[in-house]
Amino acid sequence: MTTMERLTEIFRRVFADEEIHLRPEMTAGDVDGWDSLSHVNLILAVERGFGIRFQQKELLAFRNVGDLLESIEKKLT
Amino acid sequence: MLFHTWPFLLFLLVVLPVFYSLRNTPLWLPWLTAASYFFYAWSNSYALLVVLYITAFDFILVARIDRSPAESRGRGIWFAIALVGNLFPLLFFKYARFVAENLNALFSCLHVALRLPDPSGLMPFGLPYLLPAGISFFTFQSLSYILDVYLGKAPRERNLLRFANFVCFFPQVMAGPIERPGHLLPQFRQFPAIRLRNITDGLSLFLLGLFKKVALASYLSLYVDRVYDNPSVCGAPDLILATIAFAWQIYFDFSGYTDMARGVAELLGFRLVLNFNNPYLATGLGDFWRRWHISFSRWILDYIFMPLQMLWRERRFAGTAAALVITFLVSGIWHGAAWTFVIWGALHGVGLAATYQMERSAWYRKRVPSVLKQAGVFAYVCFTWVFFRANSLDDAVLIIRRIFTAAWQGPQVPALMLGSVILVWLYQYLYESRWRAILETGVVRLGLAALMALSLCLCSSGGGSFIYFRF
Repeated sequence: MTTMERLTEIFRRVFADEEIHLRPEMTAGDVDGWDSLSHVNLILAVERGFGIRFQQKELLAFRNVGDLLESIEKKLT
Repeated sequence: MLFHTWPFLLFLLVVLPVFYSLRNTPLWLPWLTAASYFFYAWSNSYALLVVLYITAFDFILVARIDRSPAESRGRGIWFAIALVGNLFPLLFFKYARFVAENLNALFSCLHVALRLPDPSGLMPFGLPYLLPAGISFFTFQSLSYILDVYLGKAPRERNLLRFANFVCFFPQVMAGPIERPGHLLPQFRQFPAIRLRNITDGLSLFLLGLFKKVALASYLSLYVDRVYDNPSVCGAPDLILATIAFAWQIYFDFSGYTDMARGVAELLGFRLVLNFNNPYLATGLGDFWRRWHISFSRWILDYIFMPLQMLWRERRFAGTAAALVITFLVSGIWHGAAWTFVIWGALHGVGLAATYQMERSAWYRKRVPSVLKQAGVFAYVCFTWVFFRANSLDDAVLIIRRIFTAAWQGPQVPALMLGSVILVWLYQYLYESRWRAILETGVVRLGLAALMALSLCLCSSGGGSFIYFRF
């Protein structure tokens, strides 16, 4: 399973939507229910799902799914 | 220089033609900068020094941040210096007296023989200790530049003139919308493509804003001021109606200003972000802040709420609730150095934290009728406006007490005022409903235009300043 597939699974679980298909350029506006308040649940789920911990600065610098994915992959290698 | 006064019209009549005629030369940008500085210096020329300081300081410090290697200690140090130096004028001019007065009161309560001096004594060359107009707005706007470059979200601007315009662009320097570097700075890279559409759209927006300000906001203020300046002699109906009238006054005043700002920018070919989206139709407090002063609420969301929420993410809801309360306390203080604003901000923060879970539940979203939600949000927002508008904290408490306890005697409210507010409310409802097409028919448009012209003649009282110019 690729990182993107694992991330997609987490998104589907957090936003309770099996139809989500992630693309790197996607932002909060593209996923129903992804607002500033649900964002924190997503980050926690990603951290637990991959067993990683983001730094504060990384979390504030994410602009889209691609940035999030890149940061996860950097931590996994 | 206020948008609805003759000097501004004359100013535009000079700035616009020259700006258009410079389109094929590199001089359009210096001309825009000169116009912005002239506009800003018109009311209090010494305050331009603060604008120049912020411009030069941020430009140099951000270059330092950008040149430091990522993750280096130097980058963090330059970033911290940039934050402190950028915020210093705002903290000094807006809050120093408030802090000194409150600390002195505390010292005397505790019988400590210590007195902080009034900050006016610290001003050099005998300059007056006055709040520079728009300081809260241009400070936050330039702060977003420092933060975005530091976080790698926006590139550093290498052209000083472009950056100077970003800090002091005259349509929005006084009261926003608060722009982000990623949206406004690239627009200064080349002369904008100006079409006839820009001129017609810009003029329409400007006239709509002028109408909101001169005919509606100023007219409502006559009644609101009468009641709020003498709350102890007013009955409950007057206090309730004046509070509702203030809710509309501040909306028309601020959104009218924003329309004019966006209209003027459009005449120059630049786009400013949307700042209001029918806020009184919000179905939740969170929804209200997505519709009210959008550029500011996005700012506090991105730069205050998000960092705090992420910092406390392990605490789940408690962390989010604490982040909301702190964010809105800062929002209150941003509006003014007074306890009334602190309470206003706290009420919004606590309200948001308390309704956060409910607003997200399926029951609330699907079962509760929208009208009920809208009425609830409007009532709560009006309650918070009491603190925002009251002349003092004592007055605010008195008003709220009298709303519940004072005699229910006949209010002395102008019927025309009530009529115009009801009409605007109806327009707003129709605009967001499936009957919107009705508003776009020729007959209705003509009728509305005639009504606007009529109320301009009947209600105009000259205008006065804008509420948000104080902040």
